[in-house]
Amino acid sequence: MIIGYQPGTGPLHRAHPLTTLTIAGTVAALAFVLPGPVGPAVLVLAVVLTAVFEKVPRILRVALIIAAPFWVFAALLHGVIAQDPTRAVTLSARITAMIVVFLVVLASVHPARLVDALVARRIPFELAYLLSATLQAVPRLRARAREIIAAQRCRGLRVRGPFARRIGVVIPLALPLILGALAEVDERAIALEARGAASPSRRTPLNPPVDSTVDRLTRWSLGVALVVALAIRVLA
Amino acid sequence: MAHMNTRLLALIPLAVGINLAMGQFVAVMQLPLFLDTVGTILVAALAGPWAAVTTGVLSQVVFTVVSGNIVWIWFLPVHLLIAVYSGFAARHRVFRSLPRTLGAGLVLGAAAATMAWPIAYLVFGGVTSGGVTIVTTLWSGAGIPLKWAVYLASLSADVTDKIVSFLLVRIVLHSLPIRMASRFPLAARALGRT
Repeated sequence: MIIGYQPGTGPLHRAHPLTTLTIAGTVAALAFVLPGPVGPAVLVLAVVLTAVFEKVPRILRVALIIAAPFWVFAALLHGVIAQDPTRAVTLSARITAMIVVFLVVLASVHPARLVDALVARRIPFELAYLLSATLQAVPRLRARAREIIAAQRCRGLRVRGPFARRIGVVIPLALPLILGALAEVDERAIALEARGAASPSRRTPLNPPVDSTVDRLTRWSLGVALVVALAIRVLA
Repeated sequence: MAHMNTRLLALIPLAVGINLAMGQFVAVMQLPLFLDTVGTILVAALAGPWAAVTTGVLSQVVFTVVSGNIVWIWFLPVHLLIAVYSGFAARHRVFRSLPRTLGAGLVLGAAAATMAWPIAYLVFGGVTSGGVTIVTTLWSGAGIPLKWAVYLASLSADVTDKIVSFLLVRIVLHSLPIRMASRFPLAARALGRT
């Protein structure tokens, strides 16, 4: 299952990354603030339509795969065992709305653009570097883990057997991965030093995303809408 | 944010990668564990609690981004607890002997389950997907009230997971070549050698 940025020209692709993140945060908060099951169900409909309008409908298949177990377990735990189907639908719709809007963000915000936006907002270079270096390190280490599994299988690794034996087998798998990663630390530290990463001076992004008046107005409006919804819920 | 040295800048992304890659070993061996905090515990032993906290935050954010499942970000406080606890445990030389390592893992497992429980129960009604929810459903189906079913499921998963994670980190620390270990003075302290 591949999840990530999908090129496009929709309004969310063009928007400032912080605006898209604010939309996602507001939807996640509203999923809990709006009364269920109607409120979260309407949110699900809204974010699904957003995905279609943004021309990233492929994320809906991924969302379905991620959300399906929640619907099944909520139906079992709350619908069948606790005899409360309304709560089952509310919980499932809440989680589905959060999953879909989060996938819309992933599909419409390019990671490099997000880092540029954060650096333009004066977040420390270390934080921006850690985020982008980690996103690059994860697939590499996962690929290495697959290679280690394949290599150990060639040497007769047995994946069946009692629990204690299977735990013991994790050691010859994990040790090469971890020690190999630690051996890289020196090399990377020297490369970072050579590129001035230790310098405390501020970096300037080459091409930061434009934060337009519409973006700023959208973010403020969403904040106000959330506060109003919360106030109505508390007072009601 | 305090200025970070380049060694930490190099170490933390790799530790997050370890956290996420361990899941593949667990899947191949069909183990009822997560092992997704091994990198964080290792950083705590090598570089202290605050580097581990950064590793924990990044792990949870990146895991959420990579899986596309926003539910995981809600469990960030649990990962933070693991990072802080592991850092202070390493400072108290818990990797010096096997019983100390087992005890530290056991306490962390119980603490992590206790912290995960209100998030799983109050926010998600016990439905967090994955193996833990299957155990919750079984306990609940057996007549145990949902809130206790959620807690028991978390406890059984977390205690075993954290004991195995601590043991794994102890083995890694003991296996570090001398040249590599000398780069991380805190590792010697975690093993009780200084």
